[in-house]
Amino acid sequence: MIFEGFIETFKKLVKDRYGLAGITILSIMIIIGVLAPYLPLPDFNATIFHRFIPPSPDHPLGTDYLGRDLLSRVIWGARISLLAGFVAAGIASVIGIILGTIAGYYGGAVDIIISRIIEIFFVIPTFFIALTLAAIYGSNIYLLMIIIGVTTWPVTARIMRAQVMIVKEFLYIEAAKAVGANDLRIIIKHILPVAIQPAIANSILLVGNAIMIEAGLSYLGLGDPNYPSWGRLIYEGQPYISTAWWISVFPGIFLVATVLGLNFLGDALYRILTPRISNIRT
Amino acid sequence: MSLARYIISRFFQSIFIILIIIIINFIIISSAPGDPVQFIAGDIAIYNPDLAAYLRAKWGLDKPLYERLLIYLTNVLRGDLGYSYRYSEPVINLILERLPVTLLLTVSANIMAFVIGVLLGVYSARKIGGKSDTFLTVLNFFLWSTPSFWLGIILMMFFAVDLKILPATGLIDLRNPKTGIWFYLDILYHSILPVTTLTLITIPLYYKITRDTVIQQASEDYVTTYRAIGFSEDVIYRRYVFRNSIIPPVTVFGVHMGFAVAGAALIENVFGWPGVGRLLLDSISTRDYPVILGIFIIIASSVVLTNLIIDLLYAILDPRVRIEKR
Repeated sequence: MIFEGFIETFKKLVKDRYGLAGITILSIMIIIGVLAPYLPLPDFNATIFHRFIPPSPDHPLGTDYLGRDLLSRVIWGARISLLAGFVAAGIASVIGIILGTIAGYYGGAVDIIISRIIEIFFVIPTFFIALTLAAIYGSNIYLLMIIIGVTTWPVTARIMRAQVMIVKEFLYIEAAKAVGANDLRIIIKHILPVAIQPAIANSILLVGNAIMIEAGLSYLGLGDPNYPSWGRLIYEGQPYISTAWWISVFPGIFLVATVLGLNFLGDALYRILTPRISNIRT
Repeated sequence: MSLARYIISRFFQSIFIILIIIIINFIIISSAPGDPVQFIAGDIAIYNPDLAAYLRAKWGLDKPLYERLLIYLTNVLRGDLGYSYRYSEPVINLILERLPVTLLLTVSANIMAFVIGVLLGVYSARKIGGKSDTFLTVLNFFLWSTPSFWLGIILMMFFAVDLKILPATGLIDLRNPKTGIWFYLDILYHSILPVTTLTLITIPLYYKITRDTVIQQASEDYVTTYRAIGFSEDVIYRRYVFRNSIIPPVTVFGVHMGFAVAGAALIENVFGWPGVGRLLLDSISTRDYPVILGIFIIIASSVVLTNLIIDLLYAILDPRVRIEKR
């Protein structure tokens, strides 16, 4: 049944202009990222070419300040940035869905505590917290994913909480309780399948958001120097914008295209999965 | 709940939240493995244990964590944010020095983005499904998906490096300092690129919410009624729909204003804008903990207070809020 629902959503997505554009862009980027190790490209860290070669047939995107092939770095960047985005958004979604569900289902003191935590997250500048954590604990790509994940979950939690609060009032939940189903079973079997859709759409938006945050941290020099994420490439190119524009421009184009695809897709999913969004917003 | 009681309870909630934020930040920063003393006292090669011990005692770093937290909290309550390790100046002075520069950037960009975003949003909603609506929607998706720093670099390349009509970085022309009215015009001239970048990045925030709200309002029964009565579309939109749609974007504007003191660290970094955001970045890289904490407190307080003001305005304007929040 879940599979059928998935197919149906996919069909609707393809019919939606923005949905189709999003799926297309994202698929291309994912394919590029997955195939990166198998493409006939020079090693992304090999400093074997002349420095600052402008875009040319040998180096379609030019070379950087150390003589590394930019096309290779940008394509590997797709792999790094997408991986970082999906893992971070995955962490945020799991935390957000669990905490939001608990708050919405149990209410009372638990809800007050979780809601306060969410509220605090909305008033602190989470980007700077992420920045401080990255500066303190070092620039490791996996650490960055965790940091971004644990600082971006509150939106998901708030959406999930509102959804669960609506769904738990439905009569069939009452019925399930009456026949003695325990809380965990009710939540997993009866509430989540109905309530989770907006959180899923939101998780796609979170991927784009996470890619942007990773890029921002990398741009400030806090990215992992061993991996060419797009943000790091832009950071590396900035000192040379007057002489070698391509180093910063091309990674940025890939970054914008990917995040645009994710935002198209997330927005379309939102419209398809929650036809009456206005009723559900907190 | 009476209005007075509501205000008091919201006020104490806000204080409580700020307190929690201070404690969390203090713990995060104090648990850092790096040692601020080493940044000041220098490398292992030239490390002087006596100097390090002296600095540690001077800054109270030899005391246990809870004791430091208590001292810090009492000081903050007295309005004292401590001294910067690096500049040996009161943190509050460092922040206040840079605040006007940051507010010039963030407040003007926020106001411009609000005006442009709301106007475009209303326009788009009225032409829903048309070519101009699609164009504006896609354009806003693009701006929404563009990292501020990259847009800043692109604009800088185009207007400062290629066309050479705008300065690339800085707040004033340091090689050719101006006086009097020209000093302020120089600042204005230097702010064009950063303010434009921040405005462009912020427009989608207002565009989307305005467009959604106007579309939703336009489908309400009262619009149909007015149409049936024979009011012109212009009158219906200008007098009723627009007025009913302005609250959500104004709320977003208020909340966003709360973050104005945080600056736009990324854009400040691109354009060498000497604001609070840059101060924070520098403090993070040099482990100047009192400054980091001080800025976090200022940001959090400003956001919490703005939210409080918005909530209170709502409570005064709309009595239902007070009842719901009980």
